[in-house]
Order: sequence, then structure tokens, then C-alpha cells
Amino acid sequence: MNTMDFTGKRYLIAGIGGIGSAIVEALYDLGAQLVLMDISDVNINNIVEKYGSDRVRGYVCDFSDVLGIEPIVKRMIAEVGPVDGFVYAAGLGSVRPLKMCKYDFMRNVMDVNFFAFIEMVRIISARGNSNPLGMNIVGISALGAFMGNSTKTAYCASKGAMNAAVRCIAKELAPRSIRVNTVAPGVTDTKMFRDAQDYGAGSEAFRQIEERQYLGVCEPSDIADAVVFLLSDMSHKITGCCLPVDGGKLTS
Amino acid sequence: MTTEEKIAMLEDVLEVEQGTLRPETALVDIDEYTSIAKLSVIVMFDDEFGKKITGEKLREFKTVGDILAEMD
Repeated sequence: MNTMDFTGKRYLIAGIGGIGSAIVEALYDLGAQLVLMDISDVNINNIVEKYGSDRVRGYVCDFSDVLGIEPIVKRMIAEVGPVDGFVYAAGLGSVRPLKMCKYDFMRNVMDVNFFAFIEMVRIISARGNSNPLGMNIVGISALGAFMGNSTKTAYCASKGAMNAAVRCIAKELAPRSIRVNTVAPGVTDTKMFRDAQDYGAGSEAFRQIEERQYLGVCEPSDIADAVVFLLSDMSHKITGCCLPVDGGKLTS
Repeated sequence: MTTEEKIAMLEDVLEVEQGTLRPETALVDIDEYTSIAKLSVIVMFDDEFGKKITGEKLREFKTVGDILAEMD
């Protein structure tokens, strides 16, 4: 049995940024049906055009509106059917000095990066919304769940929250054959990274990163590979964990 | 917004004593104008003026007056 054949399986991907679109590509190439959720209808249309609407469908969703998620997901399930897996790849890579981290800002980052993730998992894991034989869920976390840096309070807190919640959700949903894990990318070549560089992350800071991330900057496809592994039966005894895909950065 | 109000806002954002900054003050002469302070300036433009300041634009600012001129 080929555990990397996703033909006939349906995966929901929330967030079609650099990493999200690489996940879409990887799963599509392995035969999966894909349902996308993203804030941008342009993003969605580009992908549906690229891969064709027989295997890819999209739904616009603003994850900062946490209470608005459920009706969208309900409509989606009614139209395409229950899912075999779910990846949460939406997120704000916010950088802000603590002095300016007022409640509204903190809450917005937590809404998109954490509360929306919990809400999605809550809804997708309800009976009838996923394959009764089991389902695999992956959240895109960050090394920021383990390590801190100035101006990253909201971002790191949201990723720490995701990892802690996944440890609980994994245990609670295990009796229903649902596995839940996160992936923590190191520095990955996406718009989030390029935006950070633009603000003078600085060549010195980047040199230090290159030293710690000694296998080099990740491509979005590197992250997608790990996500595919966690969605596949090859990882059938892995749950509740955070898998770093970080070129060695966390442990060096 | 008057120039005085803009200066007061910038002094608050940069956490320098009120009355310290003048339009002609060079940014390199402000000890508090660190990389974190520069981020605060970017956030200020986004929050208070709805403006996205790019890294390139930020690097073009040489004096307090350059920043004040963008604050509208």
C-alpha cells in the first residue's frame, strides 16, 4: 500500500500564502482533492485556475472574524462533503514593539493565528464533518513557539498557544482516530520573510540566522513535505507533537 | 495636525523627553532611534495615518523633519 497516495482523499487547506500554496501543490501532485480557504478571492482563483476546478475548490474566509468561520465551513461541507484532513496555514507574522502592543493588536494576532485555528479544528472534528475512519490535522506553528525575540510577543504567544492546545486536542481526539500535530518552520523563503528583510532585519542578523540554520533557508516545499508526512499514514504513531523543519536552527 | 502635535507624537513614539526634538534634528543624533524605534515609527504610520512605510522609505529619513513631512 502506498501511504503517500492521496487519491480520492479530500483535504482542507486554510491560508494560501507561501507555505499554504506549496502544501496545495504537494497534495495535488499526490492525487488529493483540495478545498481552500483564504482571505483573498484572487489567491483562490489563481490556484483554481492553475490546477482546475475538478479537484480544487475555494471559499473566501477572513480568519480574523472568528465567529464568521462556522457558517462558511458548514456551507463548504454541505457542498463538497466531509474531509480527510485539514491544514491551518493562515497567520500574521506581526512584528511590533511591546510599547505599541495594545489589546486590539494582540487580540487581532491571536484571532488569526490561534483562535481561528481552534475554531476550525473544533468544527472540522465534529461528527459528520470528517471521515469517520479518522483524520489528520496539521497546524503551521513556528520556532517562535520555543524561542523569543524582541517585538515578537504577539506572534510567539500565538504559536506557543497553538502548540499547547494541540497537545490537548491530540489526546482528546485520539479515540476518534484523529491525529493533530504542528510543524515549526525555520526561516522560509515566503512573503512573510521577505517583508521582514525589507525592514532591515539587517545583514548581521541574517548572518547569525545562517549560522544557526546551517542547512540553509527553507523553501515552502520543504515545509509542505513535512506536512504531507504528517497527513499520511507514514506518521500514524505521531500525534500531539511539533515537528521543526528548520535546517537545524532550533537545536544549534 | 500641527507641527507641534506631530513632534509630540514622535517624541512619545521614540520615548524621548518632550521638547527634545526639532524638525532639523538629525536622526543619527537621536540615541533612542534604534532598530526597534524604527519599527515603532512604521507602526505609528500604519496605526495613526494608515500609511505603509517601506524599508526603503524608512532609510530615506535623515531628519525629524523628513518624518514629520510624511505624517499626514
